[in-house]
Amino acid sequence: MSDFLRIKNLRASIEGNQILKGIDLEVKPGEVHAIMGPNGSGKSTLSSVLAGREEYEAEADEVTFLGKALLELDPEERSREGLFLAFQYPVEIPGVSNINFLKAAINAKRQHQGLEDISAKDFMAMVKEKQALVELKQSLANRSVNEGFSGGEKKRNEIFQMAMLEPKFGILDETDSGLDIDALKIVANGVNKLKTGDNAFLVITHYQRLLNYIVPDFVHVLYNGRIVKSGDKSLALELEERGYDWIINETETA
Amino acid sequence: MSKQEFLKQFDQLTALFPVQGSARSVIHNGLDFPTTRDEYWKYTRVTPLVSTEYAQNEAKIDSIDAMRIPDLEGHYIVFVNGVFAEDLSDADLPKGMQITPMQKADGLRKSHMLEHLDQHIDSKHHAFHAFNTSYFQDGAFITVEKGVEVEKPVVILNISAGAKQANNLRNLILVGENAKADFITQYEGVDNEGALSNVVTEMVIAQGGNASLYLLQDEGANTTHINATQVAQDRNSVSKVVTITRSGKLVRNNLNFTVNGEGCESNMYGIYFGSGKQHIDNHTYVDHLVPHCNSNELYKGVMADRSTGVFNGKIMVHRDAQQTNAFQSNQNILLSDTATINTKPELEIYADDVKCSHGCTIGQLDEEAMFYLQSRGLGKEAATKLLVQAFAGEVTEQIDIEPLRNFVDDFIHQKFEDLNA
Repeated sequence: MSDFLRIKNLRASIEGNQILKGIDLEVKPGEVHAIMGPNGSGKSTLSSVLAGREEYEAEADEVTFLGKALLELDPEERSREGLFLAFQYPVEIPGVSNINFLKAAINAKRQHQGLEDISAKDFMAMVKEKQALVELKQSLANRSVNEGFSGGEKKRNEIFQMAMLEPKFGILDETDSGLDIDALKIVANGVNKLKTGDNAFLVITHYQRLLNYIVPDFVHVLYNGRIVKSGDKSLALELEERGYDWIINETETA
Repeated sequence: MSKQEFLKQFDQLTALFPVQGSARSVIHNGLDFPTTRDEYWKYTRVTPLVSTEYAQNEAKIDSIDAMRIPDLEGHYIVFVNGVFAEDLSDADLPKGMQITPMQKADGLRKSHMLEHLDQHIDSKHHAFHAFNTSYFQDGAFITVEKGVEVEKPVVILNISAGAKQANNLRNLILVGENAKADFITQYEGVDNEGALSNVVTEMVIAQGGNASLYLLQDEGANTTHINATQVAQDRNSVSKVVTITRSGKLVRNNLNFTVNGEGCESNMYGIYFGSGKQHIDNHTYVDHLVPHCNSNELYKGVMADRSTGVFNGKIMVHRDAQQTNAFQSNQNILLSDTATINTKPELEIYADDVKCSHGCTIGQLDEEAMFYLQSRGLGKEAATKLLVQAFAGEVTEQIDIEPLRNFVDDFIHQKFEDLNA
């Protein structure tokens, strides 16, 4: 299981602008990595490229996820292989029921794994269990995807979907943005309950706050398309106290 | 082929009713078929269709089982090439509703029919209406008596059979005071390559009546379907017309509402899904003559391949039609770079105390929504299908007859299977 996720010299550009300029990152099962950094450093680009957003031109010496060349896979294949991106801005899709969509997603993954479709009974039991995990109201699960949800409800719905799909590798893209402290705790608590020794998480955040609740094993600072500093959770606390300037200065004088 | 030569092939058909004689003289003298120089036919070229030789086939249809809408319990009345097929129709009708093939109408029944036949549609100024009135050979004359609520829908099934078959199909529906009924006009084809169907339906709803009319157009790939539906409403009546276009190389629908009495509600919905080189044209016209009426209109189209869609919706609010609420919307999704939609909402308002809105949209599927669904494991096709079904859902949910709604959902589903085949 040593080859869980390995990224070597990942570069990405959009409309001719290079955003990621050579990312190296290795994630092992059971780990939680946090990516922090000032606005515009490339945090969301990293999550988009890993999830397979088509607008980005991405190249790398290597991006291997569970033995597969990740960049060659379509977004849906990445998902079926066990990657999950919790969106910073979850999309509202009127007319598509949350539940039907989730069932289709789960069955797409099961088909990929050569399994039969999930039974209605098992599915409903799973919905009930996972809803409780993120304290998502049952009425929301039956509504159109994210339609008319509050900001907090949308984020909870992301974690609910993550819980349903049981990914190997979950990326949380600024899941804390726009959340009040109670919602933040619920979301973090949901993620913590999903942690096993076999899966891993990448938590992208602007603020240290979320990391009080989802405690990372590693903290990386992204600046100008590169990881310029890595450390343990104490790095996050230091950033909270001192801001990013000292790292930027360190980088630019180096 | 000249117009006279074109018409000549129909002139041997019997004129059953006096209106047919006068219509023949109108179409032979002066009234021409529209061309693309006519504003309302700008995008739909019919000249080749009315300079073609057609056939009048003798056809025998043994069973309509394959054409039935699954699980639908309805009163079936069947016409083959425009003539009533008794052996294929259900005889068992509820009390208070009468269905008479026009050919067979006699006595009081006939005079009742003639009071209304061709009195609601304008055959003097529209060539296809006049063409229909001139040559139709039979049709459904349906009456629902005062206060009668018909539970099961009436299905008027028209089958076009044989190559190059030309049919003028006619319906006259009279819904009595405070009566309620649902009608499905279904158009099917059997070995009818190159066929033309030209339909006129007049539906008259008396005071307090409530009627729904569903048009299900599926005559086959290489066929033409021209449809004129005229709804006339008296006080406090409610109408709903839902137009569902499934197949047809060229389909043109003209849907007109004349709202004659106060307190009426008129609803019109449409769903069309074009593929291949299909051309689907919906023209609607709502004439608000009196105050305190509502009209709602929603048409949704999905165009794939090299198909073309046309929408033109006109709402006319006359000076006396104060406190009219009229809403109109046409929304389209283009699934390919080569599909086309021409859409034109029109409002003409002469009253000063009204609430009206109109709008149209043309777009691709929301890319963010696509990526969102894909990122959860749905393939591109599955995601597209889900988004299109959601898009169409706003119209399909207006179909109150569940088996018909399921049938339309299946048709959208099937259209995708065919696209990806």
